[in-house]
Amino acid sequence: MIQMYHAEKRYEGNVYALRDISLTIERGEFVFLTGSSGAGKTTLLRMLFGADKPSTGQIIVAGRNITKMTASSVPELRRQIGVIFQDFKLLPDRSVVDNVAITLEIAGVSRREIRARAWNMLRRLGLGHRLDHRPKALSGGEQQRVAIARALVNDPPLLLADEPTGNLDPDLALDIMDIIADAHARGTTVIVATHDPSLLDRYPHRRLVLDQGRLVTDRAPETYPTAIGRAALPLP
Amino acid sequence: MIEIEVIRRILTSVRSALRGIRSAPLVFVISVTTLSAGLLLLGTYLLIVQNMRGVLENFGQDLKLVAFLDEGATDVDAMKHTLSELSGVQAVLYVSNDTALVRLREDLGRDADVLDGLDRNPLPSSFELSLGPELREEGSLRVFAKQVEGMPGINETRYGEDWVQSYGRILRAMEWLGLGLGVFLMLILGTVIAGTVRLAVYSRNDEIAIQRLVGAGGVFVRLPFYIEGAIQGGVAAAVAISLLYALFGLGLPVLGDILVFLLGKPVPDFFGRQEMLALVLVGISLGVGGAMLSLLRLEERT
Repeated sequence: MIQMYHAEKRYEGNVYALRDISLTIERGEFVFLTGSSGAGKTTLLRMLFGADKPSTGQIIVAGRNITKMTASSVPELRRQIGVIFQDFKLLPDRSVVDNVAITLEIAGVSRREIRARAWNMLRRLGLGHRLDHRPKALSGGEQQRVAIARALVNDPPLLLADEPTGNLDPDLALDIMDIIADAHARGTTVIVATHDPSLLDRYPHRRLVLDQGRLVTDRAPETYPTAIGRAALPLP
Repeated sequence: MIEIEVIRRILTSVRSALRGIRSAPLVFVISVTTLSAGLLLLGTYLLIVQNMRGVLENFGQDLKLVAFLDEGATDVDAMKHTLSELSGVQAVLYVSNDTALVRLREDLGRDADVLDGLDRNPLPSSFELSLGPELREEGSLRVFAKQVEGMPGINETRYGEDWVQSYGRILRAMEWLGLGLGVFLMLILGTVIAGTVRLAVYSRNDEIAIQRLVGAGGVFVRLPFYIEGAIQGGVAAAVAISLLYALFGLGLPVLGDILVFLLGKPVPDFFGRQEMLALVLVGISLGVGGAMLSLLRLEERT
């Protein structure tokens, strides 16, 4: 699903956000992207959905080379990717169902089908009673569930989540992670950027650790759960 | 299938444009008001030009070319036939030298007795040619006059050279003024629309970012703004035409005498259906053009 070859992101003044990242993520995998604040997690995710281009190296997502992609072909890539953020990024003046419908509107789905699919997705995420509410009337956990519904309503093969539980208390965080895990169980490739150790401990998935823009650890899921001194795969 | 998808996308964009207007009604009202004022000014000018052009056209209908005959010219019927066949000639009237003398007497009135001392009629016979609109322009009329003068039996031609020259100058001046005013207003109004749409883009930055995030292409993001601009322009033109019509109705009784003096009639002509449609199209074009201008720099990649 994703291949990165010596990808780097360099800003003016020779400041590196990412350095020499090479990795492969297979279709249907669940991967945690972790590391301290400023390690480069968000930059890496942004490059995966075409918001940024690498300064050097190659990135291939769902068969498309991000490095060579023109601005006009980015939308087509993004329709294959669901993205979730820490701050939800919902439209405050639209109802919950309209916030979810936006993905399907852009995909050119008929109005009747949009309503049906958005309702179904929201009901599945326990928001059936909130369809016509504005996001402000919802709790943080509910808002994030709306954002997840928006990301998943189009059945994308890839889901990227940037600190999806960062603004939520622990119970709600687990609730959100269960929803994401459910999407993974249905076949979606999932990458979750987080620095929440409780999530990492709870879900024994492959873990990519970034430190100052470098990929320092790539741990396979079968090495979990282990105590101190977990085995680490050699870097590619 | 592709057509259905295109229609769906357009409908979605229309809904998005209407939502944009509803979310910032004050901006819409201010924009429509400004545009209406500009289009009212343009419409007023066009209405004046239209009526003045009508007046000038009426004057032009009286324009005649007089072709004086050689003294010995005899085959008048054949000459009349040849002249009437010329392009742009609407009618040919033969005026014999006797008729010309009678007319002169009538024109002189009480002073007609000065003609009594003449031992013979000194006036030549002539043809009076009524000319179509294509020959009312100075250049074409001059060429036509030369052509007639070159015909056998014709001695000299006369036409209202001064009037034709003035007519041409006034029309050209009005057209240039109209063009200048039009371009000036287009620039001003286009800038107003561009500013309004830019405000709308700023106020909907989050929405645009989210649309892009979930895969909206350039057309999907831009189309609602174009539609919003077109709605603004169309509504503004409709308001301007309605106001112009109301002012037209209110102004007639007040300006009645002046209009009779200036136009030769108490009720000037209002725009026809075509002119009103053209003004609405100008408004819509301004709206779409302004929106395009303001979205030129909208980043594709966010």
